[in-house]
Amino acid sequence: MAELTPLQASVRSDAAEQDAADVSRVLSGDMAAFEDIVRRWQGPLVNMAWRYCRDRSRAEELAQDALLRAWRGLASWRRESSFSTWLFALAANVFRNELRRFPTVTLPLEEAPEPAQSPRQHDELWERSLNERLRQAVLALPLRYREPVLLFYFHEMDLSAAAATLHMPEGTMKARLARARELLRRRFPQLNRPFASAPPHSSQKAGSK
Amino acid sequence: MNHEFKPNPNAGRGANLDAIDRILSADEQLVPSSGFLSAVMERVHEEAAAPPPIPFPWKRMLPGFALAAGVFGWGAFEFFRYLPQALRQLSFAAPHLSATATRDLTQAGWVALACVLSLLSWLFAQRLAGGSTPI
Repeated sequence: MAELTPLQASVRSDAAEQDAADVSRVLSGDMAAFEDIVRRWQGPLVNMAWRYCRDRSRAEELAQDALLRAWRGLASWRRESSFSTWLFALAANVFRNELRRFPTVTLPLEEAPEPAQSPRQHDELWERSLNERLRQAVLALPLRYREPVLLFYFHEMDLSAAAATLHMPEGTMKARLARARELLRRRFPQLNRPFASAPPHSSQKAGSK
Repeated sequence: MNHEFKPNPNAGRGANLDAIDRILSADEQLVPSSGFLSAVMERVHEEAAAPPPIPFPWKRMLPGFALAAGVFGWGAFEFFRYLPQALRQLSFAAPHLSATATRDLTQAGWVALACVLSLLSWLFAQRLAGGSTPI
């Protein structure tokens, strides 16, 4: 994980102070303060939900549900962890439960499509297609591996933030990530090659020159 | 809905990312639709304006609880009343139980069964009532 620059750290600390102040205002009856919280966290929550379901409309619905739950449960934030940690953990719970009740249609990992032959399309298109297939394959992972992967990349590869969201020790998180990567590599062997996302024919072309 | 994608500014950060890291960290950034904030606040206001949920009628349930406790207590009392008597009449040397012991054991068995059934139905009702745990 990249170290925070002093500026990033100060921005984060300002945001944390603002969150705490807004929560206090909401708890004392000022509903408008919740609007500031929503404004600040709507983007991250919609993006987190998007990673869980890869459906834009559903991501907004899920994020809305999470924010509503947060509003109902603001008093239960004990300020031992940061507001964002509490909010993301609550959102992960909401997304997990909602998607368990109404799952998105995902193929089993073994059936996730994979471009087997060198396509005749543009390289960039091929790369995009591979990337999207890999993201779909993440959704086909068993839940115990899927969530660590989703949250690790959502938190910009910050292991401790992802582990805190799942209330999981970092060691367990690391082990699950390693296992998930292994499953994905087994499914997408082309990711093990150098310049992994380049289509096979482009390396052939390069070699023939 | 009005959505827009922005490239993730942190995508591909760091030189030693492997292919999976590079692809998964470069996911698009979804921008919430313009009506998202107002939709959330509308739901919040609706919820704030709604009357508070009806509390569970504990007071009205008290006679029910008292009755259940009475039934359980009576069941336990009867069970322990018949059990020693039945055990006393048991003869481990003899392969057959006497008629009295059999009758007493049967009665104790029925009482025990009634207690177990009551307990099971209570656990089932608890499970149904507590099925949705709030976060």
